[in-house]
Amino acid sequence: MWLDDGGTVLASALRLTAPLAFAACGEYLAERAGTLNISVEGMMLSGAFGAVAVGSATGSPTVGLFAGAVVGLLVALVHANLSHRIQINTFVVGLVINTLVLGLTSFLLQTMEFSRTQVGMLRIPGLAEIPLLGVLFEQRWPFYLLLLVVPLTWFLVNRTRWGLELRAVGENPQAADVSGIKVNVRRRQALMWCGLMSGLGGAFLSVGLVGSFNSNMTAGRGFIVIAAVIFGAWRLKGTLLGCFLFGAADALRLALPSLGVELNPQLLVAAPYLLALAVMVLMAKSQREPRALSKPFERGLV
Amino acid sequence: MSTPAPAPARRPLASYVVGRSGLRRPGPDAWRTAGITVLCVLVAMGLAALLVTISGGSPVEVVDALFTGSVSDTAGWSQTLVNAAPLLLVALGACIANRAGVFNIGQEGQLLIGAMVGCFVALRLQGPGWIVVTVALVAAAFGGGAWSGISAAMYYTRGTNVVVSTLLLTFIAAQVVQFAVNSPSLLQESGMGSGPARPQSDAVPEYLRLASFGQYPDLTIGVGVIVAVVATVVLAVLLARSRWGFRLNMLGLNPMAARHAGIRASRLGGSALVLSGAFAGLAGGVILLGTVFRLQPAISNNFGWDGLLVALVARSRPGLALPVAVLFGALRSGSSYLAATGVPDYLVDVVQALLVLAFVVPPVLSALWARRIRNRAPVADTPARPSAAAPAKEEVPV
Amino acid sequence: MSHDRARTDGPVPALELRGVSKRYGPVVACDAVDLTVQRGEVHGLLGENGAGKSTLMKVLMGLVHADAGEIHRDGARVQVHTPLEAAELGLGMVHQHFSLIEPLTVWENVALGEPGRIDREAICADVEAVGARYGLAIDPTATVERLSAGERQRVEVIKALRRDPKVLILDEPTSVLTIAESAALFEVLRTAVAAEGRGVILISHKLAEITAATDVVSVLRRGRLAFHCRTADTSAPELARQMVGRDVSLRSEGAALGLVVTDDPAKHLTPVLAGGLDAVPAEPPAPEAPADVPGTAALALHGLCVAGPDGRTLLDSLDLEVATGEIVALYGVEGNGQATLGDLLSGLMAPDAGEVRVDGRPVSLDRPGALHEAGVGVIPEDRHRSGVVLDMSVADNLVMTDLRRFSGRLLMRRAQIRAQAEELVERFAIRTPSIDAPLRTLSGGNQQRVVLARELSAEPTVLVAAQPTHGLDVGAIEDMYARLREAAASGVAVLLISTELEEVMALASRIAVISSGRITGILDVADASPQRLGMLVGGEAA
Repeated sequence: MWLDDGGTVLASALRLTAPLAFAACGEYLAERAGTLNISVEGMMLSGAFGAVAVGSATGSPTVGLFAGAVVGLLVALVHANLSHRIQINTFVVGLVINTLVLGLTSFLLQTMEFSRTQVGMLRIPGLAEIPLLGVLFEQRWPFYLLLLVVPLTWFLVNRTRWGLELRAVGENPQAADVSGIKVNVRRRQALMWCGLMSGLGGAFLSVGLVGSFNSNMTAGRGFIVIAAVIFGAWRLKGTLLGCFLFGAADALRLALPSLGVELNPQLLVAAPYLLALAVMVLMAKSQREPRALSKPFERGLV
Repeated sequence: MSTPAPAPARRPLASYVVGRSGLRRPGPDAWRTAGITVLCVLVAMGLAALLVTISGGSPVEVVDALFTGSVSDTAGWSQTLVNAAPLLLVALGACIANRAGVFNIGQEGQLLIGAMVGCFVALRLQGPGWIVVTVALVAAAFGGGAWSGISAAMYYTRGTNVVVSTLLLTFIAAQVVQFAVNSPSLLQESGMGSGPARPQSDAVPEYLRLASFGQYPDLTIGVGVIVAVVATVVLAVLLARSRWGFRLNMLGLNPMAARHAGIRASRLGGSALVLSGAFAGLAGGVILLGTVFRLQPAISNNFGWDGLLVALVARSRPGLALPVAVLFGALRSGSSYLAATGVPDYLVDVVQALLVLAFVVPPVLSALWARRIRNRAPVADTPARPSAAAPAKEEVPV
Repeated sequence: MSHDRARTDGPVPALELRGVSKRYGPVVACDAVDLTVQRGEVHGLLGENGAGKSTLMKVLMGLVHADAGEIHRDGARVQVHTPLEAAELGLGMVHQHFSLIEPLTVWENVALGEPGRIDREAICADVEAVGARYGLAIDPTATVERLSAGERQRVEVIKALRRDPKVLILDEPTSVLTIAESAALFEVLRTAVAAEGRGVILISHKLAEITAATDVVSVLRRGRLAFHCRTADTSAPELARQMVGRDVSLRSEGAALGLVVTDDPAKHLTPVLAGGLDAVPAEPPAPEAPADVPGTAALALHGLCVAGPDGRTLLDSLDLEVATGEIVALYGVEGNGQATLGDLLSGLMAPDAGEVRVDGRPVSLDRPGALHEAGVGVIPEDRHRSGVVLDMSVADNLVMTDLRRFSGRLLMRRAQIRAQAEELVERFAIRTPSIDAPLRTLSGGNQQRVVLARELSAEPTVLVAAQPTHGLDVGAIEDMYARLREAAASGVAVLLISTELEEVMALASRIAVISSGRITGILDVADASPQRLGMLVGGEAA
């Protein structure tokens, strides 16, 4: 009995983790390059909307999924150019983009008609029969893209020259600049990756899990992603662990009433934010944070 | 050498928000900025019109509806002012924090906590009406201030990022309020016997509601509006003329020099952050006692976020925040008239965001332009060609 | 790279600049500069601050694009648009302020700024090989933030040499090095030049270094090439004259030019290479007891200890006293705790232990502004960081440390502020369009005068001047010297924190030497010689 319940909660936790994990890969990379990107919420939301819009127009949720990623990328393009080309404060830009995307997607939702569009399940025979853990192998297929995206993000940051330059730019942009690295170009590129991944995460939420779009459907998940990166102390492993924890908290909140367990639902919703704040306070002096995080770079500025 | 090569301007966060003192008197830079601003506003309006058109509406009708709902008659004006008051209060708080160089973006949460604390006092405190109302408003301000005070304490003891902590605390605030209105022992309504109690508080009794002068359909001006306007005038004078304002500016523009001059950042900056939260909390109190009368999870209704946008458009100047708040208030009240035109009222959110961009981009662009004119050849990457940067704004995925 | 070019005897220069010009708006940074660097020679590039040295090198490295002029490498005209292209052309640079990313490892830093894939093993092997060849041993897997200043310089040099540059540019390379480290660096340079036929450009504003370590010297003045000569055929006074563009009174201006002026006429013009190639002196410095200042010390520092955030010791029970009317210099190589002490005396940080007394009374260091109220004026090392607010007006900057004097209970007294500002602008000859102009629009020298005017207007008992002449031109430096002497003469106790040997020898009556956050010795200026100071700087005579 508990095994069934456990399986159900775990399945739900995994489903809720996946959109976070996609976006977290992007946010992690952007933060390593020095951008504390708060518009990840807007990128996810636009991705979710784009996926449903294109999926419903073309009749192919798969096309929609990738279109969602591209829409996220477009939003990132706006953010990148405003904050790392003409140097407007990145938080101001992020704030405005979040407002804009929320307004725009809600507006368009009411003026357009969308049909249901959802990607298929992929069940891996045999493995899916394993008790409890079987749910890992019975997911909407884009879930398995994580197997590609997570190692790729790690590899990009830690093993490629591009990643080395990103890290340099996130730690000390002035020194990186005299070494011949184009600081703001790298930061823009990092934001592109963030937009792509966040768009994908949002798209997975809409055409993967729900099959439709509703107003403000990301409901602050982008901010949970930021919390996860902080929780993970700017390391990919910790970030993904954070995503899973926060996804599980969400799943528990949904499952509790049916399980008949008394646990304060508000506490569970607030848990990611509380945990992130706690980690921020505890880890403040550990110096894991990229040193130039959210510091703009202009040449000649010491 | 007495003329050094002009290094690119060092621009701390505060100067993005406050603007540079050099712009006080209109020079060529100011004119250029004004020109670009007009252009950007036109582009923003154009985009909005485009949006209306593709949604099947008529821009003219939309403008007419917005106008009718907001400023065409005294009733519209009354509604506009009711909306503008909390926006203005939130914006005033944001001005203070921005000046001090601590960027608070958690007004939405601070406003919620303020409304909650104010509600608690209004429902529990017994006494003459005006005393309870005053105490409730002060308590609301304290509530909001305490909430941003958490961020201030975290920043000045542990160095945690203020933007992130105020942001995260906003979502925690929402859950705190949810908890309060779902707990019968706290604020959940006692229920009128019919059906289960809903997640909201009891209504504030009639005699505790904020007075307003004038009678519908004449112009009515609530106490909230008066409080906000008085606060604006006082704050404008203090920021421009007082020692406190001088010190805030100094702290925001160069914290190290401020410290050298004897300013304790944790005290001045921390109090600025607390004060900005207090203004948001006060706005929450005004909404509660002025218009909504009971605590609901949605009572904040984006007033916190929009108030922050008002401060950004006004470049952290209280004097400018007043007209901008009225404009945003008018958009809000006008939006309820949009339904008749068949255009979703979300249009107003889009327009507000575009307006913010149209006011935030030009000064930066103008400074960039000036620098480019000064050093004709571009420095390798950093400055964009203005012609390339301007369209970036329009790459909004429509 | 055109290696196979005929190496004829009529030597094709390794690098040649022809008519390079660069202007920033109205300011001409480089005006038709010609420069030729041969293989196997060290070419000194001398000039005041703002003479155009840095701009010229930035042009060479592709960080700045010239408005006019040509660059030739081995006789072929080339274009340099990016640092990457510069590296491909065989131009390598060691930057004045390190271009290292501290949280990254040595090998990662060495790999930065190159094209292509990263091969960790190969890069580590390279680092070790280059290190072995030049005697620059370093662990490639170490994290840079754990390294000392000297070791970091090693990493910089390895980074440049690994790419096998045909022309190596060093920008003020000794500013953070001790004598021994400087000597070792010049040793490496000799190897790289003589045995391997590389060209080297050595940028410096120190005459001593140039005359001792270069084969050829060029002098830049106000963006123009003012002088060019074999080093052996010229002299320090000649170079000094060329640098400033007029005859200089070595008595009063020598220090500003990097010359030690002694009273012995025979040694009058001896340039001293701080850490010259063979600078180890014969006589060991006598152990110095800290000079006994009578109990009237205006400023007394006792047992100051400060640890950095990473646990490194920045100040190590530092003791120092400065008497009324005296100029005491705190001399040492950059990065030995001077910045920390400057911050401490500016009220920017509190020490972990120890106390500061002004006029015998202890000052509470936890409270910002307490030092100022006690009568300590500070000209900070980096005025943009803590000395001024660039976006506020000249008038505001002139009164900002004494706000109480210029405000009522609540509001500022604008008229009184303006009066004060007008008076100080007049008295300190601050050149500004108006007292309402943003400070940003003033030149560096005038910004520094604003700081000096403000700090002296409070009539301090003690004036701390940290690197007060950094980044100023000779005129402004002389002015600063005069005003410091004037202040001391009027009874202010002056603590001069400086890394310029010549400056401390010219101004101070006593010289305290700091090394690794400790005072290693205090000498009367009469007893001080560059050699003795050098030993103390190295921390040898603690």
